[in-house]
Amino acid sequence: MEFITESHYYRVMPFLLEGLVWTLLITFVGLIIGFVLGAVFGFARLSKNKIIYGIATVYVEAVRGTPILAQILFIYFGLSDLTGINIDKITASIIAIAINAGAYIAEIVRGAVYSIDKGQEEAGRSIGLTRNQTMRYIIWPQAFRRMIPPLGNQFVISLKDTSLFSVIAVGELLYMGQQYYGMTFQAFQALTMVCVMYLIITVPTAVYLRRVERRLDV
Amino acid sequence: MITVKDLHKSFGSNEVLKGINAEIKEKEVVCVIGPSGSGKSTFLRCLNLLEEVTSGEVIIQGDNLTDPKININDVRSRVGMVFQHFNLFPHKTVLDNITIGPIKVKKMKKAEAEKVARPLLEKVGLSDKSDAYPESLSGGQKQRVAIARSLAMEPSIMLFDEPTSALDPELVGDVLAVMKDLAEEGMTMVVVTHEMGFAREVGDRVLFMDEGIIMEEDVPDNLFGNPQNPRTQEFLSKVL
Ligand SMILES: Nc1ncnc2c1ncn2[C@@H]1O[C@H](COP(=O)(O)OP(=O)(O)OP(=O)(O)O)[C@@H](O)[C@H]1O
Ligand SMILES: [Mg+2]
Repeated sequence: MEFITESHYYRVMPFLLEGLVWTLLITFVGLIIGFVLGAVFGFARLSKNKIIYGIATVYVEAVRGTPILAQILFIYFGLSDLTGINIDKITASIIAIAINAGAYIAEIVRGAVYSIDKGQEEAGRSIGLTRNQTMRYIIWPQAFRRMIPPLGNQFVISLKDTSLFSVIAVGELLYMGQQYYGMTFQAFQALTMVCVMYLIITVPTAVYLRRVERRLDV
Repeated sequence: MITVKDLHKSFGSNEVLKGINAEIKEKEVVCVIGPSGSGKSTFLRCLNLLEEVTSGEVIIQGDNLTDPKININDVRSRVGMVFQHFNLFPHKTVLDNITIGPIKVKKMKKAEAEKVARPLLEKVGLSDKSDAYPESLSGGQKQRVAIARSLAMEPSIMLFDEPTSALDPELVGDVLAVMKDLAEEGMTMVVVTHEMGFAREVGDRVLFMDEGIIMEEDVPDNLFGNPQNPRTQEFLSKVL
């Protein structure tokens, strides 16, 4: 069996780079929406209002209690079955990442806000800041710093999760790798390259996060 | 200036304040002493509604805090509070800790707020620390910044909850000196403290709290020199 030769490399790369672009696009757009969802539901989980808290809890638990593969199939096939509206694969993938990561990010937000010492809020309120001002200027900036490591972690998880969308034939990285060896039967080489590409993104992220974490520790 | 009428406060079924009556006049320095768990902090926190009052009335400069229509943010900006653990904002510099109140609550411009803040830093002896972050300060310096932060709102009343209890003994003096200056300038102050020396020297009146009520109150010389209530006598014999 031949290993990755140069000519081979030039043939496989365009495929994989196209896949990588879609993988990154789905991850980034999905996570941006996921962060908004996570912030909204994270605060809802801190709410004293039982209805708001209840809705957010149902969302978080429903998502965390089901596999993301079921979620993507549900969004892509299930919803179009129900509504008769077909959404395209990329949109479905972005929605799946957003909803899935949103639930985990909600817990990250809730945990980070909750972890800020109660005295911070009291100090803010006692100089006359309103609840919202105290959250915005005092609690949130401190909580956000604590969220950076778990958010980075979520980025790595969501990035890897996009590979599952190959089941609905989204042209992300893994799917493009499969396409390639489907045509050439060079599965070992193609999958090695696919994994290297994931690692090129995930390893530096992990290293960077460990550095941030260490800085936040002191 | 502050009138407290039959103030009760419960946490669930635990009644912590069992009917407090107090009257604090303008420019008066009232020290609150008493054993741990007697409700001193809770009482102080009711004076700016950091704790919700269960029943009774707290009236500050004519505003009844228990009136649901009261603008509590407005009242709080007139009542400064200094905490045992400082509660400085760690993500802000010393100067920003002090200016955030004037900027966000009083809608001052940044430059204007800094003009308020710098003399206050000078007053607490920390002019050179304006760009430092709280983590680089000693406990005593943190507490003096916290005092300056409260003063920046130009409050008419200052509440102190054991402001020196978390400090190393050699740092207590600087903080007490700042508080003494404030008292001499005529600030109305309510100070929960274990520093009997301070209460004696600076206080106009001392309240002894135990089990959620004010057991005894008097001018310091009488309360420390000739306590009437057996609980006061017992407490003082332990701490003096
Ligand atoms: N948020 C709270 N929830 C429930 N119980 C509380 C709360 N805050 C205070 N308590 C209770 O109220 C009682 C009085 O507490 P408080 O802090 O007012 O006492 P203290 O006189 O300030 O004591 P110390 O000298 O130890 O500071 C204690 O039994 C305490 O457990
Ligand atoms: Mg206390």
